[in-house]
Amino acid sequence: MHHVVLKRLGQAIFTMWIILTVLFFLFRLGLPDPTVALVSEGLSPEDRARIAARFGLDRGIFTQYFIYLRNVLSGELGRSFHYNAPVAGIVGDRFLNTMALMLPAILISYLVGPLLGVLLAWKRGSRLEVGGISGALILRSAPMFWTGMLAVMVFGIWFGWFPTSGMRTFPYEAAHFFDKIFTLDFLHHLILPATVIGLYYLGLPMLIMRNTMLEVLGENFIEFCQARGMSPARIMYAHAARNALLPVITQLAITIGLAVGGQVVVEVVFSWPGLGLEMFNAVRTSDYPLAQASFMLMAAIVLMLNLVVDLIYSWLDPRVTYTAAR
Amino acid sequence: MIRRITAIAVALLLVVPAFVFAGGQAEPEGEPVQELTVYTTTESYDPIRYEAAFMIADAWEELGFQVNVSPMEFSSLLQLFYDEQNFDATILGWSGRVDRLDPQHFLGTLHGEQTDLGANNPGGYVNPEYDELFVAQSREFDADRRREIVMEMQAIAADDNPVDVLFYRDEVVGYNDTTFTDFVVMAGESLYNEWTPLEVTPLTDDRMLTIGTPQEPDTINPLDSTSVWGWKFMRMYYDKLVRLSPEIEPIPYAAEEIIDIDDTTIDVVVRSGMTFHDGEPVTAEDVKFTYEYFIDNDFAYFRPFLSDIESIEVVGSDTVRFNLAEPVASFITVTLSQIPILPGHIWADIENPADLAPDEIPTVGSGPFRFDQYDRGEYKRLLTFEDHFDADRIQIDGIDYIVYADSEGVFTGLVTGEIDMTAWRMEPGQIEIAEDEDHITVVSVGDFGYYHMTYNLRREPFNDHLVRQALSYAVDRDTIIDVLLQGLGEPGYSVVAPINAFWHNPDITRYTYDLDRSRELLEEAGYTWDSEGRIYAPN
Repeated sequence: MHHVVLKRLGQAIFTMWIILTVLFFLFRLGLPDPTVALVSEGLSPEDRARIAARFGLDRGIFTQYFIYLRNVLSGELGRSFHYNAPVAGIVGDRFLNTMALMLPAILISYLVGPLLGVLLAWKRGSRLEVGGISGALILRSAPMFWTGMLAVMVFGIWFGWFPTSGMRTFPYEAAHFFDKIFTLDFLHHLILPATVIGLYYLGLPMLIMRNTMLEVLGENFIEFCQARGMSPARIMYAHAARNALLPVITQLAITIGLAVGGQVVVEVVFSWPGLGLEMFNAVRTSDYPLAQASFMLMAAIVLMLNLVVDLIYSWLDPRVTYTAAR
Repeated sequence: MIRRITAIAVALLLVVPAFVFAGGQAEPEGEPVQELTVYTTTESYDPIRYEAAFMIADAWEELGFQVNVSPMEFSSLLQLFYDEQNFDATILGWSGRVDRLDPQHFLGTLHGEQTDLGANNPGGYVNPEYDELFVAQSREFDADRRREIVMEMQAIAADDNPVDVLFYRDEVVGYNDTTFTDFVVMAGESLYNEWTPLEVTPLTDDRMLTIGTPQEPDTINPLDSTSVWGWKFMRMYYDKLVRLSPEIEPIPYAAEEIIDIDDTTIDVVVRSGMTFHDGEPVTAEDVKFTYEYFIDNDFAYFRPFLSDIESIEVVGSDTVRFNLAEPVASFITVTLSQIPILPGHIWADIENPADLAPDEIPTVGSGPFRFDQYDRGEYKRLLTFEDHFDADRIQIDGIDYIVYADSEGVFTGLVTGEIDMTAWRMEPGQIEIAEDEDHITVVSVGDFGYYHMTYNLRREPFNDHLVRQALSYAVDRDTIIDVLLQGLGEPGYSVVAPINAFWHNPDITRYTYDLDRSRELLEEAGYTWDSEGRIYAPN
């Protein structure tokens, strides 16, 4: 068991190093010179050089790379070019805001999705199933910037039921983060963006649940249940569903990992002050340290959750091993 | 699409001159003009300048030139243009920053002493007459006399035409006319200027003016901010000795009076009875401290404003004397209007202001509003400072700033009534919708920054002013504005924009699209064409 943990950990660290390297070069080769973003057009070359030196951009790219690796290892994520402030503080705030949007959206879709999935498996071959599957695919395929804009237009502008931007009404007094989110006002702001995201995420657990259910329904214990005279609803929800839930939970862990970066488009459409919006701004202003740190955080959490899920799997089900593949 | 249409037009038009010139034209003399390259931005950086370059190139080809358009990544373009001066013609722009409302900066881009590598006159225009006037205006303290010189310079520049000013963009903004009235409109700043909060009158019980912005201040450290989003926010809670009026006239603000003792000695009498928001008095010592602090810390953004100050002393109880190295006419309009007065008792202890963490940055000023709240990425609030000398005219309780992800968010905020005014220009599609909304008034204001085609005067054929004029007559400014800017702009002709009314000279040569005039000028310059319409330089 121990060597499995070590091996998986080693793999995760190696993957993280690759990601860090790709991120570093991607940003430097792919984006315009950040000194352009730092200043308005027509700044004198001396001033541009001075600004480049201040952020260490005057050194060779490989020197920059090793400084960067060293800093990341010591937990130093750098200084944002744009805000001229440590990146860690900026990303930290944004991360909590993103989670306040993504977690409710995902949890609701993973509560409702599987329940609907069971229903689809149960009513196999009916119109309900056809409608349900089409609905799930449509929701999964509709781009969120579009559904988001529709939601803003219909419920924000036409009906005026919900606020169209931000996560709270101003002015606002909040002593700490939880003060911000345990209010009716926050809920009011949350409903539109969370619904847009939730509907998008709904399809996947629903379809996964349906497919696994179909397998489970073919097993012997279902017949025993029927023989004992249980109602179909009880069989479906109390017995079959429990056995079909595992793949959904795996998917949930991965989804939460990916959710860390937020849904960039939804955060932009709803001006939600989260990590996704900050990434959008960072790319727009060529703010490498900030963009890098955001992507890094996202990659690290996805890797970590994958690792945890893998290990839980091999613990839950001894048939899952990592040595056999050798 | 535009390109295709112009390509067809060019194909047709190329045939026509071929007939015209094949007629009475003698055999061309000299050498064919070598291929010209027009450098411009990439399409993704700025589609307007990108498309404009192709339109202009097509027109020049009609005149018989061979033209190659080379779009470049922006920083490489700046490098090539300013640092290497390795170009034939380049399309770039100057943004309209407030300190450029004084004509000094834009006139300086044609100054013969700024032709070195990296300086602001990469085209290499040198005209001793112009240069002499440039020095004269920069030392002329009398605004009217200075204005005459500035006007004359614009006339000279327009005839010599070293830089073709292509167009000025319009800034179109909107406000909610059911919640507030008496908005102030200012050149280059549109509604989001420092006077609007002082002048607006509430029409409802809501006495907080709410402004929607698409971007966050980079920092609220007054020494370190380099963006308008930082500056336009801070100038409401810091005071300045001079503020520029909506008509761009410098008026003493925190200064009671400004006396020019002689050309290089300026006395500023600090207004009496002012206090900082923490209750401490604003003194001449604070003013002296502030300017010296800015000079000592030497941030690039402020260096040009402060470089002419030789020393600062406090004279008497309330007067600050600035001793200048040489006479600078823009000292009052720029230097005194750009530096916020800092409380010496707070900043004196801060040794290196560049290292201040965001939550350590002091926010105590003496301005008409005081700092109240700032939630990064979301919201800012300023409240009216009742003890300010100008507080009587203020009709509002304060200003709320809401930060949106982009201009679409700002626009939605205006439509739903969440905000009272926009701080940034609206997109063309939004303008149409806004005009149909009953509660929104749309305002259009010109910019005083400009987009330009700079010719490299060190190279043929651009060293001949007749050729430069001919090339400028071939620029179809109206089409650029109608098609590329969707009508939101004005044709350009002077480096001092029309919106900068006091300094602008409207009676100078304008190059309105006229290809026949272009051909006449080229003929006058001795150019000839061969039977295929290709242009030849004179021997």
